[in-house]
Amino acid sequence: MLGSFAVLRKQSLLGDAISHAALPGIAIAFLITGTKETNVLLIGALISGLLGAFWIRGITKRTHLKSDTALGLILSIFFGFGMLLLTYIQKQPDANQSGLDKFLFGQAGTLLARDVWFMAIVTAICLVVLLLFWKEFKILLFDADYAKTLGFNTGLIDILITSFIVIAIVLGLQTVGVVLMSAMLLAPAAAARQWTNSLGVMVILAAFFGAIAGVVGTGISASQNNLSTGPVIVLVAAVFVGFSFIFSPSRGLLFKQIRFIQNRKDLELHKTLAFMFEIVKGHENISHPHAVKILNNFQGYTRKSLGKLEQKEYINVEGAMWSMTAKGYHFAANLYNQQANENE
Amino acid sequence: MSSAQIEIQLIASMVAIACAIPGTFLVLRKMALISDAISHSILPGLVLGFFITHNLNSPLLIIMAAITGVITVVLVEFIQKTKLVKEDTAIGLVFPVLFSIGVILIAKNANDVHLDIDAVLLGELAFAPFDRFLVDGLDLGPKSLWVIGTVLLITIGLLLAFFKELKISTFDAGLATTLGFSPIIIHYGLMSVASVTIVGSFDAVGAILVVALMIAPAATAYLLTDNLKKMLVLSVLFGVFSAIAGYWLAHGLDASISGSMTTVLGILFLLVYLFAPKKGLISVLYRNKQQQIEVSLLTFLLHLNNHQEIKERHINHLNEHINWQRVKSKSVVDLALKNNMITIEKDIISLTKKGKNFTDKAIDYIITNDHSKIESIKDDFFLFRG
Repeated sequence: MLGSFAVLRKQSLLGDAISHAALPGIAIAFLITGTKETNVLLIGALISGLLGAFWIRGITKRTHLKSDTALGLILSIFFGFGMLLLTYIQKQPDANQSGLDKFLFGQAGTLLARDVWFMAIVTAICLVVLLLFWKEFKILLFDADYAKTLGFNTGLIDILITSFIVIAIVLGLQTVGVVLMSAMLLAPAAAARQWTNSLGVMVILAAFFGAIAGVVGTGISASQNNLSTGPVIVLVAAVFVGFSFIFSPSRGLLFKQIRFIQNRKDLELHKTLAFMFEIVKGHENISHPHAVKILNNFQGYTRKSLGKLEQKEYINVEGAMWSMTAKGYHFAANLYNQQANENE
Repeated sequence: MSSAQIEIQLIASMVAIACAIPGTFLVLRKMALISDAISHSILPGLVLGFFITHNLNSPLLIIMAAITGVITVVLVEFIQKTKLVKEDTAIGLVFPVLFSIGVILIAKNANDVHLDIDAVLLGELAFAPFDRFLVDGLDLGPKSLWVIGTVLLITIGLLLAFFKELKISTFDAGLATTLGFSPIIIHYGLMSVASVTIVGSFDAVGAILVVALMIAPAATAYLLTDNLKKMLVLSVLFGVFSAIAGYWLAHGLDASISGSMTTVLGILFLLVYLFAPKKGLISVLYRNKQQQIEVSLLTFLLHLNNHQEIKERHINHLNEHINWQRVKSKSVVDLALKNNMITIEKDIISLTKKGKNFTDKAIDYIITNDHSKIESIKDDFFLFRG
């Protein structure tokens, strides 16, 4: 759901970066407290995730480095630092350290009921805040300058959105793991984007797609041996995206192609009609019949296009002769005017 | 230092150099994240290669992985061309999918083999010297040294051969096209090199470190210089430095080498980010502050210029009129005094000749936006240099 905002804000890969950046937080939280309490580790992850997110913003804002560089930089550096800490922890004498790397790849199967409740509560809080600040989020998203002139504290709202994305990511980490988190954030939103231009509908659709991908993916992975949940969920979500890309009515590739072919056919018909119009124009009686033969050396004329024109009642065909109807004449004349107007 | 230690540092440095060169161009072309995508999505290629050969050391694995890397790039470009989503979203969609396929392939079919996701992603440099390259029983050194050496030679060779083309197509794709180079060929060439480099390096240092080695040195160098050649040299230096320093850090902490190399890179970047002379955070903040004061000064001088009445020029009046805090107005007045632009007589401020001159020029500039008018003031002030 929050992914919608990320996609629209061109920060799609933020999810990827933050999920990697959360690692040192987990390691440090473990080093300090010595427990493997999920909540403590999550708080660590949250803090380092936020730190990463704001450093990224700082880099893009204050220096001439582009956002992709900043993202890649933070991602790899934080993750590398996390690895350093993890390996350091592994060499420590207490035996309690294994299992931290579970966070890396995630395993929905290991979730406890308590964790699920925790996630549900946080999701609910996110929802409430989203509804409360809906208007502000929306304005900031599409026209940041306008939001500023209206007197909204854009910086604050921005921080709010970023924080929520970070929270969502950190929570999701346990389920699908670091690598696949970005797909979880993006795929539903990218799929939803293809079906609608309205933000509200998009957010709802994205949540819906995400939920379905989760349920179906878990189902598939449970029904077979040796299939970890995360990758299957991601693949299911990817199928949604592919389906949306191809079949969405207004933006989909399939319909785009169909429209393209349609347009080309229309153009051919118009060309033929325009050519006929040129011939007919010289005669006083517009319905004066002409031989079909004279169209032969005109490109774009086929028997089929002639049939189509007749279907539309622009012309009458009788044997080897054709004649233009009043309707066809009118249409062709306007067609000509339209072109002339456009040329001007 | 034992020979294994020297070998590890040698491998690390060579990887660093091999990564820094394509990395520089990726950063400049705003495609840094492609390296991240490639490093993840080569997994299915590796797995497929393994299924075909059943041998973890076969060169086919590397070739397959490199091909998957290029496929990733092509897919990303394709999705982006449909204009349904933006480029970064395309990247974010493609690589998790490929990675998932890889993970599932491993889980379904290769459970009993030593092909571990952790090993692929994280790599372990410390074991590199144990994997020897043997020809007729003759020990020719670690295998990864040969792999990365070859990659490095190819990269440097290509860089020298196509430096001009790369440079032009990076900075001005339009010019490159008119000159008759195909930016597309260069683009895919660069991508293939990046892909091969990532594949060649990652079994020594792991996928994440490859990304760090590609982006971090180049980004750090980019903060220090605008010159492409200097940037290349600097990023190579940073890479090698982090390789060696990282090794000793890992040695001291008894932790992962790749992790500590990345950490060194991170610290380097942080330092440069804060202290770089022109583009660092501190100098940018300082410059912003400076410009703010100069704008205030200009406002102040313009105000004086507009008001000949004594009442308007009283020093206390200015506080209310331009709505400045006391401290700020004091610093502005001090600055103006220091530059001999105003004089104060019995709390009444008036412009000096120099101040008047300056103000007139500034007004001229604001009205006409003609840079030649302010050549003479430029020396005194930051403001007009930007």
